[in-house]
Amino acid sequence: MIIPMALLVITLTWALVRIAPGNFYTQEKKLPPAVEENIKKKYGLDKPWYQQYGIMMWNVVRGDFGSSLKYEGQTVNEIIWRHFPYSATIGILAYVLALLIGLTAGVIASLKQNSIFDYGSTSLAMLGLSVPNFVLGPLLVLVFSFWLYWLPPARWSLAGLVLPVVTLAAIYAAYIARLTRAGMLEVMRSDYIRTARAKGLDEKTVLLRHGLRGGIIPVVSFTGPALAALLAGTVVVEKVFAIPGLGNIFIQSVLNRDEPLVLGIVAFLSILIMVFNLLVDISYGFLDPRIRYE
Amino acid sequence: MSRMRFIQFYSISAIILLSIVLNSCSTAGGNRYFGSTKFPKDNVLRYISGAEPESLDPQISSGQPEARIYTALYDGLVEFDPKTLQPIPSIAENWEISPGVDEFIFHLRKNARWSDGAPLTANDFVYSLRRGFAPETTSRTASLGYFVKYAEAFNGNQVFIRRGDKFITENDVAEKPADAPVPPPFGPETDFHKFLHAPARLTLDGDTLKRAQAVEPNQKLKEFFKFTAADFKNAPALAAKIKNGGDPLSQYLAANMPADALACAAAADCSDAARQAFADGLNKATDAASFFTQDWFAGLTLAEPAKKLGDVVAAENKKRADANKKIDDEIAQLTDDAKKAEKEKTKKKPLGKLFYANRFVLEQSFPDELAPVEAVPVKGEDIGVEALDDYTLRITLRQPAPFFLGLLTHQFFRPVPRQAVEKWGKEWVRPEHIVTCGSFKVKEYRPYDKLVVERDPNNWDAANVHLDGIEFYPVEEQATTLNLYKAGAVDAFLNHSVPASWIDEVRQYKDEYMNLPENATSYYSFNVRKPPFDNPKIRQAFSLSIDRVALSQFRKITKPLYHITPSGIFPDYDRAMDKVGEEIRQEKKLTPEEWDKQQKQFNPELARKFLNDNGFPVNKAGDGFECPSFPTDKVVLLFNTTESNRQIAEFIQAQWKQNLGITVPLNNMEFKTFLPFRNSLQYQGLALSLWSGDYMDPYTFLSLHYGEQNDGGAGFHDPKYDKMLDDANAELDPQKRNEKMARAEYYLIDQLPVIPLTINATNWMKKPYVKGMYPNPGTLFAWKFIYLEPDPAKWDTDVENLMNVSDPQVENQLRALKSTMTK
Repeated sequence: MIIPMALLVITLTWALVRIAPGNFYTQEKKLPPAVEENIKKKYGLDKPWYQQYGIMMWNVVRGDFGSSLKYEGQTVNEIIWRHFPYSATIGILAYVLALLIGLTAGVIASLKQNSIFDYGSTSLAMLGLSVPNFVLGPLLVLVFSFWLYWLPPARWSLAGLVLPVVTLAAIYAAYIARLTRAGMLEVMRSDYIRTARAKGLDEKTVLLRHGLRGGIIPVVSFTGPALAALLAGTVVVEKVFAIPGLGNIFIQSVLNRDEPLVLGIVAFLSILIMVFNLLVDISYGFLDPRIRYE
Repeated sequence: MSRMRFIQFYSISAIILLSIVLNSCSTAGGNRYFGSTKFPKDNVLRYISGAEPESLDPQISSGQPEARIYTALYDGLVEFDPKTLQPIPSIAENWEISPGVDEFIFHLRKNARWSDGAPLTANDFVYSLRRGFAPETTSRTASLGYFVKYAEAFNGNQVFIRRGDKFITENDVAEKPADAPVPPPFGPETDFHKFLHAPARLTLDGDTLKRAQAVEPNQKLKEFFKFTAADFKNAPALAAKIKNGGDPLSQYLAANMPADALACAAAADCSDAARQAFADGLNKATDAASFFTQDWFAGLTLAEPAKKLGDVVAAENKKRADANKKIDDEIAQLTDDAKKAEKEKTKKKPLGKLFYANRFVLEQSFPDELAPVEAVPVKGEDIGVEALDDYTLRITLRQPAPFFLGLLTHQFFRPVPRQAVEKWGKEWVRPEHIVTCGSFKVKEYRPYDKLVVERDPNNWDAANVHLDGIEFYPVEEQATTLNLYKAGAVDAFLNHSVPASWIDEVRQYKDEYMNLPENATSYYSFNVRKPPFDNPKIRQAFSLSIDRVALSQFRKITKPLYHITPSGIFPDYDRAMDKVGEEIRQEKKLTPEEWDKQQKQFNPELARKFLNDNGFPVNKAGDGFECPSFPTDKVVLLFNTTESNRQIAEFIQAQWKQNLGITVPLNNMEFKTFLPFRNSLQYQGLALSLWSGDYMDPYTFLSLHYGEQNDGGAGFHDPKYDKMLDDANAELDPQKRNEKMARAEYYLIDQLPVIPLTINATNWMKKPYVKGMYPNPGTLFAWKFIYLEPDPAKWDTDVENLMNVSDPQVENQLRALKSTMTK
């Protein structure tokens, strides 16, 4: 299923790139027509479109996305594998941080419903959700780079990871906290929890072995695709913090009309997302005894 | 928590956030410098260079960010003067210029080396230029160098035309042949130089069909392609073939030439006169519109190039016929006669008669009997670049070009390493393969993160390179750029990068904020090919109704532009403009006030008069005006999507509304969508253009509207203007040349294909300890002049205009470099 879907996505993307006006060589200064012809000939753009599509597809099927048009001498595969680790590092760190904060806050809020903890964490979650990361990022920079001089405002370095990771984690943590709270509230009132308590299990076991397992199912279905999105790189955060990640490259490749690179990244991302959705589906079975796969 | 307390909570957090934001604007005010100013640990300059460089190959890309990097990695024949950008010696120690300013001899220094230690010689420059112009290199800046003789022809796959042993020259086919005497040789005479100095050969398109289309309308040129008696390799055999009519082509030829033209068929009768008659007969049969449309053509077995040509012509004719049929269908549906006529005009004619194409088919079909008109491809070896010896280079131009030396500072003319290019192909630019020749060489390259370069000990001038290295950071976000600078993580950043909302704040830091006129202009081009802006008076009306002073005040960092070239960049030219302006004022018998008013170009009254006189009456309506007859549905003000472009457009839209009562609709497009749309003149009305000069001469702006295919964006072409510029460039005296160019500029302003708007200003920052880095009009740096000053007492303080500050170290270095010029 994944392969045909990916090919379909590539075809659509290819068509969209083709329909978009302008070329990778479009520039302020007009090119002499002869030079434009030379460029088209060199990159096979003078062939009929179905031939170009055929050549492109044949190469894609063999896993060869060719060379970037814009960055001469660099292959698409090389560019993706070079920049994916940057995005993945930030993504995984943000994911872990979001889970830690979100789950903790969610569980506490649900246990102490209508207490100050509940209102506090719910409010923070609302704030996290409603402040977009292009606002949160610069705000954090202001506080931690210009008032406290603790952290660098941008660029890739160990200390430089903190701000983008926090910025990225905030919205996910908020979401996870809300989902956890809601999930936990529902589960903790269900019959099997009452049964567990009636068995005389201590509250810790009830909560961690029985409650949490059911309570975080909504979180899992949310965080699967979320992790894929985080790994793939997030354009805004990578732009604001000048991180050389895949999201940054992706946007640039579209603006550059760098067709092979666009196709390569789209293919990579679509496979990534589909794989993660699959993993989420499988993990349901482990979490909820009611869901079993034949 | 009640609902009230909830609201309280949020309002409090909102207030806290707001105060954080507001506070940030006032914290920095008290300091002498902007943000953190700490002298860096290493002797390495950290510079934000903008977009990720496309390639480290200086001949491919046309980008601005790359240009800064190339000048660090590659030395050219000449280098920029760090302040004036005028050419100073680099690999060329000195040079000679021919009396006609169309030939240059460069004497190279003997100690120039590549980063791999190999010597850098004149042959490297010859190789690099041939490579740069080679069609397969697909350089996007090659057209800058078309002044080099035959470079344009080589770059565009063109051909020389040879008949027998003689090449056709441009003079042969010119309407008025020039009779200029061949100038005496400049420098030592060589066979190659004789070829370059001979009258320019005619070059035509390499594509047979395009060549045929170029030949057809030019009678004088066509004559050279006619069959002559000398073209027959074997006249009797050919005549016999045609007479016998074995194939459809022969039958066609026989039927379309006089019967006696084939007298040659009998070898005994093939006299000179008979051969001539045969040639005339062939010409008659071949010069027929019906040639390619013959029914027999499809069934003809032709040799490959002729067959392909036939296919192309047939396909092109079919395409045009189909398009016309579609137009016919549309016309059938229209009722309005005027619209019908307009549609009718858009029809395309069939290719029609193409004598040379027909002749080509004959040549290919009878290769043993007919000698072809030879199309000899222009090769790299033909272009006007010659190594006289290892350390002497001669460049020959096709026309006088006094600015050519300045052009040589451009990245396109900087040498590339033959040893690496030939070994690694297009992968030679990878950090593990790259070989460079500049003050710096590649140390580490992490795309989208940083490019680190270090001083190259092999460089001929390494002793005078002050920095140990440079780190180039590819950051495009303006806010991020400024953050990094404010935090002291970078020492300087690229031009045009302070966000508009920050300008008022940072301009207080005069020592760091670089805000001076730039070799760049903004203007709106009119589409002069579509009404209503095909009328110069209407164009002037729209220009006269804009208050440029107000616009520049609104923009904060620009100056008003009244002409085509920016004032304040070329002082000599400014003086020439004043002088010629005064002459024109007297010729027109205007008072100085009237003239001044015309020149300031803000005169809404005159603008309304122009509209009134040209069929668009402007009426008073309440406090303002209205102009109901102006076709606002046919004009749009188009710009590429940025916030500042929108602000300018809205500002000017308001001015027209106020002064003319006309509301021009606005439209914006993403940059790469916008460019082809504007350049192919698809827009209606007006479109924004920005132009940064390629070299330090007014011609880089004036040539925007030169020739049929130009970069002006307006579709303007006026042979009279072209002639004026040609005359100016042929003028050898710099002052007279400036005056002639100024005349041309005033002429262009009368035609007004564009609305001049603003002279742009540099907009970047550098730390006070960075020295030798100047806000020159192109923001281009000769990196070897830059140094970091550790002593805070010597940092830039209270600088009004850095360009006027004298720095003994920079000046001594400059003097030492220039000293070789007089050797």
